[in-house]
Amino acid sequence: MKQKKQAPHLSLVKNAPTEKPTWIPPLNVEEISSRLDLLWQQINHYFLRIEKKLDDKSVVQRHEEITQEIKNLKSLLAKQTHDNTLPIIEKKPHTHNTILNGVQSLIKKVIQKIPFLGRPLLNAEELSLEKSFDPFGRDPEFEQKLKPFFDFMYYRYWRISTHGLENIPSDGRALLVGNHSGTLPWDGSMLRVAVSNDHPSQRDVRFLVEDFVYYLPFVGTYMYRVGGVRASRDNAERLLESDHLVAVFPEGVKGIGKHYSKRYHLQRFGRGGFIKLALKTNSPIIPVGIIGAEEIHPIIYKSSFLAKPLGIPYIPITPTLPWLGPLGFIPLPSKWSIFFGEPIDLSKYGKKALKDELLIHQLSEMVRQNIQKMITEELKKRRSVWTG
Amino acid sequence: MTKKSHPNKTTTHFPPIALTGSGYKGMTLLKWLEEDPRFSKVIFLNYKKPQLKLKKTKFYKIDLTETLADLQLSKIFKKEKIHTVVHTAMPITPPRNVSRAHELLSVGSMYVTNAAASAKVKKLILTSTTDVYGAFPNNPNYLTEEHPARAAQRSRFLADKIDAEKYFLRFGKNPGCTATIIRSATILGPTINSYKTRYFSLPFVHTILGYDPLVQFTHEEDLMQSYRLVIENNHPGIFNIASSGVLPLSKAIQMMGKINVPLLLLGLKTLVQTLWYLNISPAPSSHIDYLKYLCVAAIDKAQKQMGFQPKYSCIDALMDFVGAERLRHVNLYTETGVTS
Repeated sequence: MKQKKQAPHLSLVKNAPTEKPTWIPPLNVEEISSRLDLLWQQINHYFLRIEKKLDDKSVVQRHEEITQEIKNLKSLLAKQTHDNTLPIIEKKPHTHNTILNGVQSLIKKVIQKIPFLGRPLLNAEELSLEKSFDPFGRDPEFEQKLKPFFDFMYYRYWRISTHGLENIPSDGRALLVGNHSGTLPWDGSMLRVAVSNDHPSQRDVRFLVEDFVYYLPFVGTYMYRVGGVRASRDNAERLLESDHLVAVFPEGVKGIGKHYSKRYHLQRFGRGGFIKLALKTNSPIIPVGIIGAEEIHPIIYKSSFLAKPLGIPYIPITPTLPWLGPLGFIPLPSKWSIFFGEPIDLSKYGKKALKDELLIHQLSEMVRQNIQKMITEELKKRRSVWTG
Repeated sequence: MTKKSHPNKTTTHFPPIALTGSGYKGMTLLKWLEEDPRFSKVIFLNYKKPQLKLKKTKFYKIDLTETLADLQLSKIFKKEKIHTVVHTAMPITPPRNVSRAHELLSVGSMYVTNAAASAKVKKLILTSTTDVYGAFPNNPNYLTEEHPARAAQRSRFLADKIDAEKYFLRFGKNPGCTATIIRSATILGPTINSYKTRYFSLPFVHTILGYDPLVQFTHEEDLMQSYRLVIENNHPGIFNIASSGVLPLSKAIQMMGKINVPLLLLGLKTLVQTLWYLNISPAPSSHIDYLKYLCVAAIDKAQKQMGFQPKYSCIDALMDFVGAERLRHVNLYTETGVTS
């Protein structure tokens, strides 16, 4: 170590080949990097807290400088390991061993829940309101846990292909209007996955959910956590006014509960509530045609027996439900495609159109025809239900 | 001991103000009015003398549940030339004595508004709660002031509060009169003590299995800010007040480091109602709904019209509350909560 001292990272670069036998490179590099990360996290945390209180530009600048410096250090470190061909232990992506990880985290949670043994799960100081809690009850953490499953359904099970995603603006509000189908409303969550996975700006779609769902235990809470919002004008307006993408299925329960022989026949589009919504919030309507969802649970018969005490509109009888018990809830693996049409701009009608019920009905019918046409065109090309 | 206005001081002086109620809201307001020199004349109306040492406030003993309380009130208002009445005699915790609660909340408020109308009081302020909207599965995520108050269907206690609101709104229709109703979400902070804080201070906080609604809190300071705003300026109408943000009930319990015990809904209502009659449960069974369904209010109107800006988030309110509670356990925080 007689060489002249330079900046620590540079000396590391120069000394590394000669000193190689004396230190344990792979471990060290990994450790340094993780320590840097930790340090950075702490610094960031304190800076954010200071910035929140002080509102001082020099602090923000210093924060940026330190961020840059740590980035540089990390890249130097990476370079150095690369030059010396030291093996970098890459962090495994989280999706591997999800079951094992799940079990591990479950055990951890159980231990943490026992008083005296574990600390509380959440530390309030680590949480910031904006990051962790959605104003409409979506839980990003919970969603992250379910993501592998939804991705599996999206990519492998239904092999969903999307067309015309470019019709969705990369920012700003828009109302996605789609056809509803499939007995169990999978189409809403798949639409959400489609836009968040495949759209270049990975936008977050909030879908409006039928009222009755929120009367049910577990299901109601679950729907809120995965990004569903109760279908009401207040909620939809609030979402659109904060420039969200909102997906609505104006057919409602009539749409998902169609008899199999009526598949792809779009039902009446409610009472034109979505048109009023678009006019009021001045948001473009993007027609969405979903093909394939009609075949996941073909309805043979609708039974109203026991439906009322269970709090649901009807009990569907399909080839699998209720004969196979819980297994009957497994949908059939049809091939899906989702088509996004060109945005329909209603701004030319202005706010005074809100009072013209006839016009609203006409517009609603126009959107319905538009989606029906889109679906009919695509069905003409479809060779098979299962392979598309 | 009333202070005389200094001629060289340019600060505005507020006209005579009367305050009712000795709960948390009343006492904090009384402290503020005592300390603020801009209020030269403060009248405190209650059925018992407050423990607080009163310097400039005049105390009148009045029981709102007595008949002819309205006549007495009217005489006092006329004598003291009252301009503003802040009616905080609206307990947060449902009183055990149901019939007295009805007399106090519903009939008492009627007495106050009637007396105010006859004594030509210009401004009335009522402290209510967002619970009056009721927790229903078909509530929108953010309830606005236009939304009907539907809690009356389930809870008699809240029905009385809605009655009181109606009397105040009726008073607001008189020419030249202002009636303000502050609906605040669950108040949390270091000093308050209500049935809701008692619920959150249980080591095992019970929830309902399968339900996890979003909850909303009001930090004590934010509440005080809204009171100040409506006392100092005229803002007629109903206003929702809460701290910023919402969080799921289960997360709130986790963040406090408590243990969440989900209970089966089956038969729970009967059990809670029985326990309520036996003076064990802190609230009647109708309040279970608030652990099941949403009841979150939008504060846009207060922000736009009143200039109310929440300084705290719901998490801050929760953490301030739980921090004070922890300090009380080790006797480092001696200020006991004001029961309300």
